Amino acid sequence: MEGIIIALFVCLVLALVSKYLTIPAIPFYIIAGVVLGQAGLGIVASDQLSSFFSDMGLIFLLFFVGLGLRVEKISENRSAVLTSGMIDLNVNMIIGFVAAYLLGFSFVASLIVAAAFYISSTAMAITSLIENRKLMMRESETIIWLMVFEDLAMIIVLALLSAGNQNLIFFAAKIIFVLAILYVLAQYGKEFLVSILDRDDELPVLFTFVAVITTAGGAELLGIPDTLAVIALGAAFATTDPDAFEQHARPFKDVFLVIFFVFFGITMNLSGNVSISVIAIICLLAVASKLISGVLTGIALYGSARSGLEIWANTIARGEFSIALAVLYGSPPVAATIAVMVIVTSLVGSFVAKYYGSLSRGFAGRSRHHGPPHRVRAGH
Amino acid sequence: MALRSLNLPGVGTKYEFETDKGDTVAIFFTKTGIIQMYTLQKGCHTPSAAEMTPVEARRLGNILTGAIIEADQESVEIAFSALADLRITIHSYIVPRAIAGKTIEDLRIRAKTGTTVIAVSRNDKNIINPPPSFVFETGDAVLVIGETDQLKLFEREIMVD
Repeated sequence: MEGIIIALFVCLVLALVSKYLTIPAIPFYIIAGVVLGQAGLGIVASDQLSSFFSDMGLIFLLFFVGLGLRVEKISENRSAVLTSGMIDLNVNMIIGFVAAYLLGFSFVASLIVAAAFYISSTAMAITSLIENRKLMMRESETIIWLMVFEDLAMIIVLALLSAGNQNLIFFAAKIIFVLAILYVLAQYGKEFLVSILDRDDELPVLFTFVAVITTAGGAELLGIPDTLAVIALGAAFATTDPDAFEQHARPFKDVFLVIFFVFFGITMNLSGNVSISVIAIICLLAVASKLISGVLTGIALYGSARSGLEIWANTIARGEFSIALAVLYGSPPVAATIAVMVIVTSLVGSFVAKYYGSLSRGFAGRSRHHGPPHRVRAGH
Repeated sequence: MALRSLNLPGVGTKYEFETDKGDTVAIFFTKTGIIQMYTLQKGCHTPSAAEMTPVEARRLGNILTGAIIEADQESVEIAFSALADLRITIHSYIVPRAIAGKTIEDLRIRAKTGTTVIAVSRNDKNIINPPPSFVFETGDAVLVIGETDQLKLFEREIMVD
C-alpha cells in the first residue's frame, strides 16, 4: 500500500510540473516508475493491490475507447477517414514491422512492436490541437478522424492478438454474441440507464463502475478477453448517453491510468537483452515514419506536403495504447523498447507540435512566392 | 451566412460560419469545458484564437447580441427563432432614490412602459415575480423583461433620479 502512495505522490508532483510546462505527463510517469521500481532504486514494488489498480486503469481506458466509437459518425465521413487511415496504417505498420524484424525481434514480437509503433496517442494528439490552438485548421479534422481510425485498428489488433491459439471463427462468434447482448441490453434498458444517469446521488458513478468491472469479470468466465468486453460495453453504452458515462467514469480512468503508467515503469525489467542502438533506431524510425505517412496523407487529401507536416507534428506522440500493448503482450525486451519509444516520441511530438508554427513561419518567409495560398492554414 | 456545426470525436462540438464579407468564425466547445474562438480574415492564412471559460464566453455572447453591459447593469437578449424571431431582453437596474417607497402599482410600470418586473434582489435575497403591492427600496436590484424599446422607455420614465 505504501508503494502506491509513494508512486502516486511522485506522479502528482510530476503532473503539476508537466501541466505547468504544457508537456505530456505520460513519459514522466513511466520514467518515475523506472526510477522507483526494480530497474532503478527499488523503492516501490508491485503487489496484488497495485496490479488490480493497474488493470482497472487499462480497463477504464478501453471503456473510453468504446464510448468514443460512434459507428454512424464514422460511416458519414467514410472516404476521408479511409484514405488517411489506410496510408497511416500501411506505412507505419510496415516500417515498424520490417524494422523490428530486421533488428532481431521474433515474428510475434515484431508484430507487437509494429502495432505499438503505428498507434499514435489520441489523448496527446487532441490535447496538442487544443493547447496549440490549431483546431480551426483543416488538417485538424483529418487528425481527429485519423485517431478514430487508429482506435478501430487497435481494437482489431487486440482481438487478433488475444485470440491466440483459439479457433478464430469461434472466438469472433463469442465476441459478436457478447456485443449483441450488450447492445440489446443498452437498447431495451435505455430509459432505465438514462434515469440512473440523471440522478444526483452516488448511483450514476456506482453504476458505471460496477457495470465496467462486472463486464470485465464476466468476460473471463465466457473465455473472451476483458479488454474486448469493456470496449464492447463502451460501444453499447455509447448508444444511450456517452457524455454522461464519460463524466462518471472519468475520475476512475484518471487515477487508475496514472497507476497503470507508473507501475508499467516500476515492473519494467531492463535486464532483457536489447541494445541501446536497437531502441534508438526504433525511436528515430518512429518519428520518421509518421513524417512519411503524414506527408503522403497531406498530398493525398490536400495536395500539400505542408499539410502533411502539420499532420505529422500532431501525431508523432505514441502513448497510452502503445503502453497497453506492451503490458498485455510484450516480453521484457519488447516492453522496454516500447517504453523508450513512447517517452521519446511523446516528448519530441510535444516539442514539434508546439514550435512547428514558428519553425514553419521561418520556412514560409523564405519561400513565400511558392504556390497560391490556401484558405485555411493555421498555426504559423 | 452559412452556419455549420460538427461533432468532433474526442474534442467536442465545432460551429463555423462564414460572414457575407468572407471572414470565417469558428467556435469550439471542447470536452474539457473551455471554449475556443477562431477568427480568420478573408485572404489571411493564420487565424487568431481566443480561449475562454464558459462564463467569459457567455459574457462575450451578451456583448455580441448588442446588449449593454456594465458592472451592475446587465442585460441579456434572447432570440426565439421559432417564434418569428421574437427578441426579448432582460435587463437589471438599481432602484434610484426617487422611486424608493413606491409600489409597482403606484408607478404603473406595465401600463406606462409595457415591461414587467420579474425579480428583485435585496440584500442577497431574491424575490421572484414580485406582486403589484411590492414596495421598492433604494439599492434594490430589479430585473425587468421586455423588448428593447420598452426597456428604453422604462429607463426614461421609471428609473428617473
